[in-house]
Amino acid sequence: MNIQVLADLWPFMVCVITLFVIGFYCLIVTLNLIRALIGIEILIKAITLLIIVVGYVSGHSALTQSLVITMIVIEAVIITIAVGLVVGIYRKTGSLDSRNIRNLKG
Amino acid sequence: MMHTLVLFPFFALIILNLPLRVIFRRLSFWVVFALSLIQIFLVFFPQNAFWGTHFNFLNTFFRFNLSADGLSMVMLLSIGIVTLTALLVARQMITDSDRMALFCSLLLIAMAGMNGAVLVRDIFSLYVFLEITAVASYIMIAFDKNIFSFEGAFKYLVLSAVATAMMITAIALVILFSGSTEFYLINYAIRASAHTSLIVLSLGLFLCGFFIKAGLIPFHSWLPDAYSSAPAPVSIFLAGIVTKTTGVYTLIRIFISIFGFNGQSQRILLLAGIISVVIGAIAAITQKDFKRMLAYSSISQVGYIILGLGCASSLGIAGAILHIFNHSVFKSLLFVNSAAVETQTGKTNMDEISGLGEKMPVTAVTSTLGALSCAGIPPLAGFWSKLLIILALWVGGLHVYAVVAILSSVLTLAYLLSIQRKLFFIKGNSEENSQIKEAGFGISLASTLLAFISLATGVFFPFIINSFIVPFGKIFGRF
Repeated sequence: MNIQVLADLWPFMVCVITLFVIGFYCLIVTLNLIRALIGIEILIKAITLLIIVVGYVSGHSALTQSLVITMIVIEAVIITIAVGLVVGIYRKTGSLDSRNIRNLKG
Repeated sequence: MMHTLVLFPFFALIILNLPLRVIFRRLSFWVVFALSLIQIFLVFFPQNAFWGTHFNFLNTFFRFNLSADGLSMVMLLSIGIVTLTALLVARQMITDSDRMALFCSLLLIAMAGMNGAVLVRDIFSLYVFLEITAVASYIMIAFDKNIFSFEGAFKYLVLSAVATAMMITAIALVILFSGSTEFYLINYAIRASAHTSLIVLSLGLFLCGFFIKAGLIPFHSWLPDAYSSAPAPVSIFLAGIVTKTTGVYTLIRIFISIFGFNGQSQRILLLAGIISVVIGAIAAITQKDFKRMLAYSSISQVGYIILGLGCASSLGIAGAILHIFNHSVFKSLLFVNSAAVETQTGKTNMDEISGLGEKMPVTAVTSTLGALSCAGIPPLAGFWSKLLIILALWVGGLHVYAVVAILSSVLTLAYLLSIQRKLFFIKGNSEENSQIKEAGFGISLASTLLAFISLATGVFFPFIINSFIVPFGKIFGRF
């Protein structure tokens, strides 16, 4: 098992990398807060798929399956809180545009 | 028995939030108070049976490996102290008992998460506990429900999610070449295996993730926003311990327990550290807002910790760990003082406040002690940790880094003393200040305690070094 094996599984790797790029692009380009959250979701889905592929390649499917289930739970919690924050921002500003939340300057 | 450090906060959280909440609501403050005091107490007795005994009964239900070394002990002590401080300040500032119970519940979640994160020896459990801590801190930042706090929390959440994504990718690569998530098994696999490219890739991803979580300079944009928009007790908690545990502790842990050091990773750490030290200090000088300035100062101090880690010697790592402890004490102290100023004057802009020294003597004295400790002035605690880091840099032949670190220390002194002068020492507008009096009992008690710890660690350092620094040399001697 090395990087060569991953290269043999190229259909999976193409999916993982495509999803990762889509998620990251969405996160960087969008001005809508909900779309930013969708970007994060896609990003994490890509990594979930990567972990499953890794389990398949290295023969530790049982370990990675338990990890993936834990990850899905944690991700649901994070997105719930993120949506709560977005609802809060919408109630205060009346829009979902991320240009409205530039009051604090990094 | 170490499981109880993680499980008791969770059980307390569940019991306090049962339908009988009306009865338990008043208890929640005392529960968190007792848990953090017990934690501080336990750390002072490392020979205690608590750390040695294992309940097989607990291990059958909760299968995570826990063990405590010197680094974990220091982190547990800092967690206890900062939680206690945040709690005392919150009791003063949050008057509504419902909201106070809510804040105590969030503190319990964050405490359980951080205790778990510093005790686990499994990389995936580490990720789980980091997420528990992070979730509690997002809600805490947005606690006041105004637009600024929502903005700060949202920025933290998005950047933290990216950091998490990087970290899990790295975990996937680690599973690929080692087939396990336990620290020691991964360490064996790294020593034995020849997959250098995979190891370098996973280490790089870990570094990026933890640099974001620790708020080092290229990735720092969320940190001043989150610290300055959060309510005062939350700023104390975040600056004092949350980012130190989620970013800096984890960074030290993956280096000493998993990857070990080599020339390239050492160079990356040194570079990231020195950039954060210098740019953080320069950015802090230009700030008008008290809390934002402390946030940039925090970035600069984290840079020192990373510099100490980058020395890759036992002296440097001992300095880094001591600086984590000292930083959590003096930065919490300065944030407590900012909370005192904020509650009494209602402002955080430094240009609008002046001459508080006569009205608020406790705040003035303790914040001067905190600022001097932060800048590294000799009798105080901050001096010794910075001295160790700079000595380690010099001994390791990194003379340029050592000189820049010393010069940045002068910058630190410059901005901290300028706010001391503006806020406390020069004469202010007496009509505006006539209504102002000393902050309440909780805040004064917290700031006095922290100033005392900072002073005592510094003055009694020659006694501490034998029981504190020398053991670290043994632990890290193998690298």
